[in-house]
Amino acid sequence: MNNVNKKVVAIVGILLVAAVVYWGYSAFIAPKGEAGKKHVTIQVVIEKQNIDETFEYTTEHEFLYDLLKEKEKELGASFKTFDFGAMVTGMMNYTANEAENEYFHITVNGQDATTGPQEIPLKDGDVYKFELKTW
Amino acid sequence: MDMRARDIALIPLLSASITVGKLALSFIPNVEIVTMLFIIYTVTFGLKRSLLAAVLFSTIEILIYGFSTWVLGYYLIWPLLIIVTGLLKDRLKSEFGYAAIAGIFGFLFGAFFAVFESFFYGWAYGFTYWLRGILFDVVHGVSNYIVVLLLFKPLSRMLKAQAERFFGVVS
Repeated sequence: MNNVNKKVVAIVGILLVAAVVYWGYSAFIAPKGEAGKKHVTIQVVIEKQNIDETFEYTTEHEFLYDLLKEKEKELGASFKTFDFGAMVTGMMNYTANEAENEYFHITVNGQDATTGPQEIPLKDGDVYKFELKTW
Repeated sequence: MDMRARDIALIPLLSASITVGKLALSFIPNVEIVTMLFIIYTVTFGLKRSLLAAVLFSTIEILIYGFSTWVLGYYLIWPLLIIVTGLLKDRLKSEFGYAAIAGIFGFLFGAFFAVFESFFYGWAYGFTYWLRGILFDVVHGVSNYIVVLLLFKPLSRMLKAQAERFFGVVS
């Protein structure tokens, strides 16, 4: 086998390995949404603006981001899209000031969220809190 | 290390080329040529010059993006790649070996930062960070492997010829 053929085989091989890992991730690790109607609560706290609002929704969306997008106007939400996903940059028409290290901290039932809203599955009865904080 | 004038000129050039290479491909998530350049520079210019270029490159990252924990990690991870390449280069006979180093480095990149970030934010955060980033690590590893497999030989040949032409025999 000449060197060019070896390289083609090596590249095809590693692409196959990547495909298997992708399948494994999608099947076993990636967060999964729940189908059907869910009743959820969204709370927004922006202390410096004296805002503490609670919204209750019944939705068939499977992930938090989709609900936020649907209620974008009512929640005054804004987003910034990165290559790794979307980030909430504003709520109640207040945009977090990056120069002052502000960001919207997300908790789910009081626990810190470990992913962005696109990967947070909606579950019946859950409370999603967005609080303006500084890092 | 005996720093000669040519080294003082060379090291910033190496560092600048890596910064430009990184910025040029920054629009494609986790596809980069930084790994390949560090490997080629280590093989062509040696361990010490490449380590200094890595320190300079990491410092320039701070100037561009500001100080944060991931930039701090750069001071460790790029020198680590250079040291591993430097230790293995006499044993590696072809670009397949360097492609393997680059591929493994890409696959483990997220794991390294997960451990590193854990010191600041806790192990639970680090584990989640790694788990959620697995697909990015796969893209990183695969693209590193392919980039080095295809470009290592022609680039290192060209670089060695230019280095010898402008700097004499590089030691």
